Amino acid sequence: MTDAELYHLLKVKYGFDEFRPGQLAVISQLLAGEDVLAVLPTGTGKSLIYQLVGTVMPGLVVVVSPLISLMQDQVARLNYQGEKQVAALTSQLDYGTKQRLLTNLSALKFLFVSPEMLNQETVQAALQQVPLALLVIDEAHCISTWGPDFRPDYRALGEMRQQLGAPRTLMLTATATEQVRQDILTQLRVPNAQQICYSVDRPNIYLGVQSLTDEAAKREALQRLVTTVSGPAIVYFTSKRQTDLIAEWLQSTTDLRVAAYHAGLSAEDRFKIQQQFMAGQLDVICATSAFGMGINKADIRVVIHYHLPTTLADYVQEIGRAGRDSQPALAVILYVPGDENLVRSLNDLTAATPNEIARDQQRFEHQLPPTTAVSEVLQFYWQRGVPVETVTDLFGQRQRTKERELNVLMNYVNTPTCRRAVMLAYFDEKAPSHTDTCCQLPGDALPLSALGLAVPIDVPAEPSVTWTQLLAQLFLPNF
Amino acid sequence: MLADYVLLLFSTTPRRAKGVFNVLRGRRTVSTLFAGLTANCLELLDSWHGVDLETLMAVVATLEADQLLVSTTEGSWQLTLAGQKRQQQLQTTLYQPQAFQAFQTIDVRRFERVSQLALQVISEGAHAEKRYYPVTSDPGVQATVKQWLRSSRQPMTVLGKRLYETLNDFLTTLDSDLATIFVMGLTGYQLPGRTDQQLAEQFDRQPLEIWMIRKDLMCQWVLWIQQHQTEPLWPLLAPLIQATAISQSAWQTYQTFLQQPDVQVIARQRKLKLSTVREHLLETAILMPDFPFERLLSSAVVTQLTTIFQEQSDVASWQFQQAQDQLPELDFFWFRLFQIMRCRQEVSA
Ligand SMILES: [Zn+2]
Repeated sequence: MTDAELYHLLKVKYGFDEFRPGQLAVISQLLAGEDVLAVLPTGTGKSLIYQLVGTVMPGLVVVVSPLISLMQDQVARLNYQGEKQVAALTSQLDYGTKQRLLTNLSALKFLFVSPEMLNQETVQAALQQVPLALLVIDEAHCISTWGPDFRPDYRALGEMRQQLGAPRTLMLTATATEQVRQDILTQLRVPNAQQICYSVDRPNIYLGVQSLTDEAAKREALQRLVTTVSGPAIVYFTSKRQTDLIAEWLQSTTDLRVAAYHAGLSAEDRFKIQQQFMAGQLDVICATSAFGMGINKADIRVVIHYHLPTTLADYVQEIGRAGRDSQPALAVILYVPGDENLVRSLNDLTAATPNEIARDQQRFEHQLPPTTAVSEVLQFYWQRGVPVETVTDLFGQRQRTKERELNVLMNYVNTPTCRRAVMLAYFDEKAPSHTDTCCQLPGDALPLSALGLAVPIDVPAEPSVTWTQLLAQLFLPNF
Repeated sequence: MLADYVLLLFSTTPRRAKGVFNVLRGRRTVSTLFAGLTANCLELLDSWHGVDLETLMAVVATLEADQLLVSTTEGSWQLTLAGQKRQQQLQTTLYQPQAFQAFQTIDVRRFERVSQLALQVISEGAHAEKRYYPVTSDPGVQATVKQWLRSSRQPMTVLGKRLYETLNDFLTTLDSDLATIFVMGLTGYQLPGRTDQQLAEQFDRQPLEIWMIRKDLMCQWVLWIQQHQTEPLWPLLAPLIQATAISQSAWQTYQTFLQQPDVQVIARQRKLKLSTVREHLLETAILMPDFPFERLLSSAVVTQLTTIFQEQSDVASWQFQQAQDQLPELDFFWFRLFQIMRCRQEVSA
């Protein structure tokens, strides 16, 4: 297929004139029969790549994705773009629906699936019956123990890929160091895959860090930011409880329309909040960072971290939601000395001492069920017969990785020099030279006017409508 | 707030908390159903589906610590004087569901999900909007709605107008705040719909109360559609309605029983264990308003048991041991059946 034909397809099917950076290169390689590892910054329309390849190539596109909520959002997004033959195979489906889906795979074009689900024999068997156009590993960095987001179930993907007849494979990630990239290729057993890497830098996002003395000062700083800087805004938190509390506090102390967004919400409420945000009916969303948000809102102006992100790689992903329209945007970390201990205690939740590991192996030997989150993870290794020593090494190595990642992050937070340079150096990239609209050095005020972000959110007065009027708006087009 | 709704489930006589909660959570074992019969809460069967039992038991512990409930026997609680006062107060201030009995025989939750998508599709379609995010990506729900649209063979604008009229007819039967909550929760063209939290703020209630209201309105709507079978959504509801709350297998056993009452013969005919046949019959006896007890219980057994328990008016507290002491040959099945019969007579008396 020629480039001209691809451009034509892009226009007809998606209404775009231009590919975004990296899209065309990845698509061309895939169509030429190559496996591809693509490192593309968030907001570059990664799903368009496999959508377009799926349109051109016969067979099913299988997308492996780590989060159910993310999968459901992706299905909704593809539906939105007019793709009807899309489904997510998740543990939330009832038995009958799952069976019907598996027996009718040939009627589908796109199937989203978690690695655990893909590992099930019935799913494997059903997939072996249909031709595959493409296997997509989304968030591919999860496969690497060198990376901070390691997921043990991703470890089995290499073997599963072989069982599926080694289909053409696209590995997608937004951030990966050289070491993580190598590990992805080794684990998935695709040593000859083409690597297409684009800079993680998003030059239109100003990088700020505000150091504050205590929690009260942090709250005030947050309130000042959301009431003086242009919106819409996302504020990230580590805990669900804090997310709810601060959302309620902002809602009651400002005129802004604020909502909390986290895994504790029902699917229905999550959907409604996303759609309200997209429709401009919400100004600020307070969200837990651990919880994926599949929306693609181009005009988010501000991303604030009320708590530290877990790693610098996560940070790059999370601020990547801002400024997808290429207009200036702002990313700010609100930091109180000692905040890093919260990250440390989260890391400890998934840690285990050599003693605990040995004891858990005994538990497995006695055929007792896993009791903790850590023993769920260990279970994965015991089931595959991995020896205790190897697992102990692996866990020790993971702990060191996490401590190293935290140091990298704190280095970014505390640096007296250009933050963008620190960030890019971590991904083995060079930064452009520092300017006034690049990042916030210690003592700098936020250059809101220079960024064009000094016009605060103007909340429109809400007209009061009766239920009969609303009902008419919903169902009568000429109302 | 959950504590308030839990308190409403208790009375001045002892109730088995686990049994009552399991009725609400939709467990259909005979012992749970029997607990529901004695606590007179069977009509709430399955209405709190998905609520965690441990959470509810923790709430009971809190209510006990606050001296609103008191435990009389292990596993049973009843209202204290303060609890009674509080309950009376809640009965006037807290929203009281009206139509939760719909959960017994109708898959209301499924209809909620299906109708949500159906209304969205029609609302978007009536405005000729093709690009929108569907409220659910569940392939089963999507397929059901697609099928319904195809077989209705009407243009979207016509369906939109009909839905407007049918909803308008239903909602005018409600209090206007309730109608507003119902409509504001809907998702459609340019209206994503309000979350429970947002509705709670707007109506100055707790999110859980809004949750109860919206569940109840869904039940009321379902019952309304059942009465108006020419309405466009009836085909989506019809397959979700069961004739009875009794499970299908128990119902079949009961049909066999009607032909001849010997449980041994039924077991052979239905290829079931004797104990299963008895469970089926007990389930039917609990859930069927006019179960023919006299065809199973011999008048001799009835007389004997009546004599044994004549001094004890609280049927729920009868102990099998007491009957067995005097009738060593008696099977638990007959005791329980007799107990169910007396409970029914009490309720109807
Ligand atoms: Zn800089």
